[in-house]
Amino acid sequence: MLPAAAVFHFPWEVNCGAVQEGESVRTFGRWVFVTKGHRLVSYQPEESRATLSAQHASKEHNVVIHTLFVEPFNPIIGAQYLVLGETENAEGVGVMVHARVLNCVDGVNIALLQKAINEQRSFFRERECKQGDAAQPADAT
Amino acid sequence: MQAATMEQVEEPPSLLWGLDPIFSAFARLYVRDILQMTESTQVPGIYFYNSHPISKVDVLGTVVYKREREDFFCYGVDDGTGVINCLCWKSDLLKGQEDPGKSKGQTSDGALRGFNPVTELKKLRQSQQNRCHVEIGELLRVRGPVKTARQQREIKASTYYKVNDPVMAVQIAWMMEVPQLYRVCYDKPLQLHPTATGDPAISPLSKATNIIKNFCQQKSVTRFRPYDVQDLLQPLISTGPQTTSADMEPVAGPSASQQLRQLVKKVLVMLQDEGLIYRKVKSQDEVYHVTAQDKDLLIAVKDIIKEDSKREKYAEKGCHILHILSAVRQRYSLNVSKAALELVLKSLECNSDIVSTSDNHYTVF
Repeated sequence: MLPAAAVFHFPWEVNCGAVQEGESVRTFGRWVFVTKGHRLVSYQPEESRATLSAQHASKEHNVVIHTLFVEPFNPIIGAQYLVLGETENAEGVGVMVHARVLNCVDGVNIALLQKAINEQRSFFRERECKQGDAAQPADAT
Repeated sequence: MQAATMEQVEEPPSLLWGLDPIFSAFARLYVRDILQMTESTQVPGIYFYNSHPISKVDVLGTVVYKREREDFFCYGVDDGTGVINCLCWKSDLLKGQEDPGKSKGQTSDGALRGFNPVTELKKLRQSQQNRCHVEIGELLRVRGPVKTARQQREIKASTYYKVNDPVMAVQIAWMMEVPQLYRVCYDKPLQLHPTATGDPAISPLSKATNIIKNFCQQKSVTRFRPYDVQDLLQPLISTGPQTTSADMEPVAGPSASQQLRQLVKKVLVMLQDEGLIYRKVKSQDEVYHVTAQDKDLLIAVKDIIKEDSKREKYAEKGCHILHILSAVRQRYSLNVSKAALELVLKSLECNSDIVSTSDNHYTVF
């Protein structure tokens, strides 16, 4: 069976949103595509746990990654990574991403990637608005 | 649900699909849209996105699922909006992988001699094989027709290859481009209604001009008056009141006969501009001469060129078209337009009555 689509999310969204959304994310089995210049800051192979960190609005955001499914991989401390996986509220660590894909993308143009993600989001928002407008008069008649 | 049923109703007839440029292109749709678009009721295998007929798609995404069979790979491709199965047939290259070991001796020979097409071909095949072997987490580009098998939508890849994208440059470019494509092409409704093709203001007029042109040609008409052709255009007015009403709105609902007279007027102006007809004498009696059938005009032009080519001034290069025009206006009719004269000159040249010496210069031998 195919897994659900992994939607792009910025690391700070995973962290902040997860506090409220953590439960629903897990129960509905939604998958999260985490990105935006995560730098690998630590890796504990014995626990299969890595920590990625990103800066946003002068704050440091950490995301804990469960790496069991993607091992063995070559951890480069300080390099940028792209994670694709499922989020889970783990005890003690908060939100943890069970990585299905962990790609080193060191050298990626973060600003451009962020722009592309926002572009895609605004496109979908625009379209949903339009569809909503179109549906309403149809309902009324 | 409602949107889906509405689309079904609006499904354009298959005869018109080819008029949509998206139909014959690989549409770069989001996987989400590929999964949701409705299948045609007329032809299975054709889908509709926003009433655009889609036959094949172009997708770029991360491989999140992989299954290998004897003859094909099944890749789940995730582009961030959805996941779709891609059926990728193995080429003969991928199946016959025992060859490299067998011909090892030859390769070393080839290396000594420098360039060896056989080894180069082998290298090419090797890299092609590498491109076709995709692991989970790698980027894959797939193009091909969409298919629905066991209620699941999938892409039957006609081309597929691994994309090397270490710094996500390809993915970012793709993400920037696709929304633009949607705005410019896929989300723009295509007007395929046969009555409204093209510019609404032009279509009845061009139809009318064609009718008159055909009439003049078939019946070898030499001249006519407006009321002679009025009846020919009658069907255009009576059958299409809805189509003409849109572009005639400012006239505030003219009667059918008024519309007809206006149409005839417009057509005659257009035909005069093209030079197909002209009025020899401008008087109360509106008589239009058909340029191509006007033997007198042809002879007049020919005579002018014949005479004036003998003059010293034009002997070398021949007569310029503007000189001929002014001469025709002086000696034959004031109202001959340049377009009409050009037509006459062309037909004379086709009959080898005159010869063009250079651009816009004509002479007689």
